[in-house]
Amino acid sequence: MKKFTINRFLVKLHDPRERTFFLALFGGKMLGLLACFVIVFGLPALLTSMTGKAHAQTASATSNTVAKALDAATNAIAGAAAAAPAADATPPNPPYVNPLNTMWVLVTAFLVFFMQAGFMFLEAGFARTRETVNVLLEGIVDTCLCGVLFWAFGFAWMFGSGNGFIGNQYYFLQGIPDTYGSTGVATLAYFLFQFAFADTCSTITSGAMLGRTGFWGDLWYSIGVSGFLYPIFGHWAWGPDGWLNNIKPAAFHDFAGSTVVHTIGGMIALAGAIVLGPRLGRRFKRDGGGPMPGHNMTIAAVGAVILWFGWYGFNPGSTLSAMDMQGIARVAANTTLAACSGGLASLFFVYPRSRKWDCGMTLNGLLAGLVAITCPCYWVSPGGSLIIGAVAGVFVVVATDVLEYLRIDDPCGAFPVHGVCGIWGTLSLGLFATGEFGAPTPTGADTSADALVKGLLYGGGTDQLVAQVIGNGAIGIGVFIVAMALMYAVKATGTLRISKEGELEGLDLHEHGAGAYPEQVTSSI
Amino acid sequence: MKKIEAIIKPFKLEEVKDALQDVGIQGMTVSEVKGFGRQKGHTEIYRGSEYTVDFLPKIKLEIVVDAGKVAEAVSAIINAAKTGKIGDGKIFVSNVDEAIRIRTEERGPGAL
Repeated sequence: MKKFTINRFLVKLHDPRERTFFLALFGGKMLGLLACFVIVFGLPALLTSMTGKAHAQTASATSNTVAKALDAATNAIAGAAAAAPAADATPPNPPYVNPLNTMWVLVTAFLVFFMQAGFMFLEAGFARTRETVNVLLEGIVDTCLCGVLFWAFGFAWMFGSGNGFIGNQYYFLQGIPDTYGSTGVATLAYFLFQFAFADTCSTITSGAMLGRTGFWGDLWYSIGVSGFLYPIFGHWAWGPDGWLNNIKPAAFHDFAGSTVVHTIGGMIALAGAIVLGPRLGRRFKRDGGGPMPGHNMTIAAVGAVILWFGWYGFNPGSTLSAMDMQGIARVAANTTLAACSGGLASLFFVYPRSRKWDCGMTLNGLLAGLVAITCPCYWVSPGGSLIIGAVAGVFVVVATDVLEYLRIDDPCGAFPVHGVCGIWGTLSLGLFATGEFGAPTPTGADTSADALVKGLLYGGGTDQLVAQVIGNGAIGIGVFIVAMALMYAVKATGTLRISKEGELEGLDLHEHGAGAYPEQVTSSI
Repeated sequence: MKKIEAIIKPFKLEEVKDALQDVGIQGMTVSEVKGFGRQKGHTEIYRGSEYTVDFLPKIKLEIVVDAGKVAEAVSAIINAAKTGKIGDGKIFVSNVDEAIRIRTEERGPGAL
C-alpha cells in the first residue's frame, strides 16, 4: 500500500503541472512552518522588553558634573543613599527610578501629545473646506505611524548609543535600562515623551503640503520623516553620543528642539512644498493673485492656543526633572513671554500695510515666538525672551512674503513658523544666553564655571554662536537635502500629488469619500 | 400682481423688512446669495496678504404685491437700503401670472 502511494507520487512528479502544484504546496507549508517558528520564538523576544539592564552610555564632556549632581540627588532622596556613584567616565544609572521626575516627564508628555490636537485644529482651520477631513486624518495617521516606527527603530537610532551620527541600541525597546541616562526617569516614560516630540515634527510637515498630497504619498513621506529623518538627524544633537555634543570650543545646545524638532520639520515642509508645487488655482502676489483663505478662523485660533498650552509640556518638560524647580519656572515664564511678544510683533508689523488687525498672522506670530524660544528657554532671561519672540514675530511675516515671492505655496506657513524661526531661535542662544546656567541636570542647572552657556551680547564671545551655527547648519542643510531626495523619490512613485480631477473635486471626497461638513453647501464661491 | 426682487446688503435686511411692514407688505421670502456687479468683488486680508473675493455675499428679498402697491414698496426698499456707496444692490420688478394659497386654494390677489 505504502509503496503504491510513493510510486504514484513519483510518477505524478514527471508531469510538469503536477510538479509545479506540488512545489507550490510544499513551499507554502514550509513558509507556514517558518511563520510558526517566528511567532513562537520571535514574538516573545520582541514583546519582552527590559530583559537586559544595559546602561545608556553617556560619553559627554559633562559627565563629571552630571555624576556630582547625581550625588546630590541621591542624598536628597531619603532612604536611597545606596551606592553614590563615583565620578568616572560613564556615570551609572541612579539606583532608583525617580518618581517625581518620571511623573513630571509623563505629564508633560501628555501635554506635548495634546499639541497634536492643536496642529490638527490649526491646519484644518487654514485649509479649505474641501480638504478638512484629509488634514485631520493626516494628523491622526502621522501619530499612529510615528508611534509604531519610534518603537521599532526610531528611538533606537535617536537615543541609543552608537556613533556620533546614529544610535544602535534598544531596537523594539529591547534591553532598555530601568531609567534613561542620568535622568532618573523611567525609560518608557522618556520614550513616550520623545515619541510625542517626533510626532510633532512629522505633523509640521503636513501643514505645508495640504490640499494636494495624495494619501499614499502622505504615508510614504511620513514613514520617511518619523522613521528615518527625525531620529537620525535628531541623534546628532540629542543622542547620548551625538557629534554635536562634542564640538569645540562650545558644545551645541538645543534645549527643547528649535533645531531638532522645528528646523527639521520646517525644512522637510519646505522641501515638500517645493516638490509638490502650488495648489491648482493658487496665484501668487506678483502674478496678481493672493492666498487661498482658510475656511475656519475659529478652529485655527483655538488650535494655536492649544499649541501654546502644549508648549508648557514641550519646554518645561525638557528639563526631564521635576526637581529643577528654578529651571522649570524660568522655562515656563520665558516660553510665555516669547509667545506674547511674537504675537504682538506680528500684529503690529502687518498692521501698517493693510490697516487691518490680522488674526491669522498673529496666530503664526505667537507660534513663531514659541518655536524660537524652544531652544534657548533654559539659558536666557525673561527680557531676552521678549526680544527673541518679537524678532521671530517679524521674521515669520517676512518669510511668508519671501515664500510668496518665490511662488512656493505653504498653506499653513509651516516653513516661516517652524523653519525660519527654528533657525533664529537656535542662533539666538548664541546671542542671548546669560551665562548664569549650564546644562540641565536632575537637580538644577549645572553652574560649574566651564559648563556655563554665555552668549555674545552677555560678553561670552562668539563660541556659543559658532556652535549654534554649526549645529543648526549641519542639521538644517543636511535634512533639507535628504528631504528633497525623499520627496522626489515619493514623487517618482506617482503617489505624492493627487490627480488634477481629485484636487479639483477636493481631497475629502476623492480620497476619503466624505466631506467634513456634509450637511452644508460647500463651494468655492 | 407684480414680483419685486431686491438684492441688498446683508446688514440692511432688518431695516428693509421694517420699512416694508410699515407700508403694509405682509410676507416676504429671503435668501442668502452671492454675486457681483460693476465693481467686480473686493479684496480681503488673509495672513498679511490681500486676496480677491469675486462673489460678494448679498441678501435676495422677494415679495409679490398687488400692482397698485409696487411704487410704494419699491420706494420703501430704496429708502431703507440706500447707503450711497457702491454695492447697495438692485431691484427688479416683473409680472406674476397667478398666486395660489395652498391651504385654501384661493387664487389671485386675495391669495397674497
